[in-house]
Amino acid sequence: MPTLRRLADGLTGLSAIIGSAGLLLEAVIILVDVVGRAFGKPLFGSQDLVTMTMVFVVFGGMAICDRRGGHIAIDVFERGFPAGFNRFIDIASALLGAIIFAMIAWTIVESAKLSVMLNLSTNLLNLPKAWFQWALSGFALVTAFGMALRAVEFAAGRGDVRPRGDRA
Amino acid sequence: MSASSIGLAGIVILLVLLMIRIPVAFAMFVVGYFGIAALNGYNAANSTLASETFTLASSPELVVIPLFILMGNVASVTGMSRRLYDAAYAVIGQVRGGLASATVIGCGGFAALSGSSVAAALTMGKVALAEMERFDYDPRLSTGVVAAGGTLGILIPPSTGFVIYAILTDQSIGRLFLAGVLPGILLLMLFVAAITLLCWIKPQFGPAGPSTSVADKALALIGAAPIVGVIVVTIGGIYGGLFSPVEAAAVGAGLVIALGFIASGLGLADLWQATKDSIITTATVMLILIAAHLLNPFLALSHIPQVVGEAITGLGLSTYGVLAIILAVYLVLGCFLEGFAMMVLTLPIFFPIITTLGIDPIWFGVLVVLTLEMGLISPPVGLNVFIVKSVARTVPLSAIFAGVLPFWFTMLVALVILISFPQISLFLPNTMIN
Repeated sequence: MPTLRRLADGLTGLSAIIGSAGLLLEAVIILVDVVGRAFGKPLFGSQDLVTMTMVFVVFGGMAICDRRGGHIAIDVFERGFPAGFNRFIDIASALLGAIIFAMIAWTIVESAKLSVMLNLSTNLLNLPKAWFQWALSGFALVTAFGMALRAVEFAAGRGDVRPRGDRA
Repeated sequence: MSASSIGLAGIVILLVLLMIRIPVAFAMFVVGYFGIAALNGYNAANSTLASETFTLASSPELVVIPLFILMGNVASVTGMSRRLYDAAYAVIGQVRGGLASATVIGCGGFAALSGSSVAAALTMGKVALAEMERFDYDPRLSTGVVAAGGTLGILIPPSTGFVIYAILTDQSIGRLFLAGVLPGILLLMLFVAAITLLCWIKPQFGPAGPSTSVADKALALIGAAPIVGVIVVTIGGIYGGLFSPVEAAAVGAGLVIALGFIASGLGLADLWQATKDSIITTATVMLILIAAHLLNPFLALSHIPQVVGEAITGLGLSTYGVLAIILAVYLVLGCFLEGFAMMVLTLPIFFPIITTLGIDPIWFGVLVVLTLEMGLISPPVGLNVFIVKSVARTVPLSAIFAGVLPFWFTMLVALVILISFPQISLFLPNTMIN
């Protein structure tokens, strides 16, 4: 289990690094485009670069968002439920999240197959759409893995790995 | 089973899942996915899931969200928000209740740098609460003012609330940002008026602070000038048609980072942490949006919006009567639901009614966002109240809720004014953007 936890945390950290780098890159691309436009030389294909980088920003952050307990839940009634029920809900939420992200990964891979078949690409730079769909699926799988492991750890009585006070 | 019955069952299941603490995005995802599957089959559900997920994750308009969040996070890390407060403090701190008013103005300034109410309450809470405690401010006023002032974050642009509204209702982000400017300033002024009135009736609530010299005032104002400059460039850039909202967000983030490096000792590690925090917040928002784009087609397929719309219009009320009912529902829901989740859950039902009645969607957006703000300080789940509690640990929660009450009523007054005078919301977008 500790090996799996290290693997999950390592993959989560790597996803976060890619997502964070993507966000900074996005800002730079837009700034270069805006400044270039002021001098009559906008960055060719900046829209393609920005929108495709957004995939890394959004899904690169999903695993760490779960790891930090970033998903919003309504906990008004929590204190009214028995502790065992709340524990069950924590495990069920993590499992449900894992299934959801696995489904996202699967449906996007299926969609990527279509993109390859139809040779779909971005408008200006002709970047193959499937590359980014595979990347999205990869990030979704990392998130699903982290959530599934969290559910197993919780069920095995190892407690919640998310920081106290931040849990959804 | 009819489509409407399936829709109704879906809503009941959704509410049960939310009540038992299943994360909002997951609950919406489950109901949306299986609802579409029940009405149109699993192929349709899978296809909607794949297309909506990738479309939203690569949406050019939504790039504005992580960039404005980054701008706010960097401004917070570098202490730029403190300088806004210091400037307001130097100018009006010496009058009765002046520190509280300075806090509200500081919140308004920070709101123009960040789209998040929580960030505004947390940042200004750290800065202002200790100062007000030092000058014997009543804890009810000091905590109430931070919690309420923080809510300006989602009304004054850039606002995450407006971006989400725009995406859900297919409206222009730029127009909504402009629509929020005057109502934001109006609310800020009403907050200051409420503080003044409160401290006039009960002088012990907010004693006058120390007077500052002209040189101190000038120094504090000069210190805040670069941050004000960033706000003017970003929001003014959208206003003047120089930038799109996405470009303004990138320019704002770039300027704040540059200012941080040059003048505020921003290190690479701080920037990296702020960026990482930004992608976490972005992931939270985006997953809910993706789930909403699964739930919305399900609700549309089940004809629930039409059924609710017909029920409300069947009451024979005037347009303002229907609007009042919808806003009253938002005020009640705001006591129990997180504001963002509330908007995502209710707009698919209410928005078609609004458009059918010919109500301006931009104006309605401002009213909805203001009611969301009220939800942020409404018991029992007012998020900003808990944020302030995390900073002011010795102040009882009941005292903070008592402190926000005058501001809640002030917001209600603002809501009535904005309903009575739609021009306040619509003047800027109608004159600046066609």
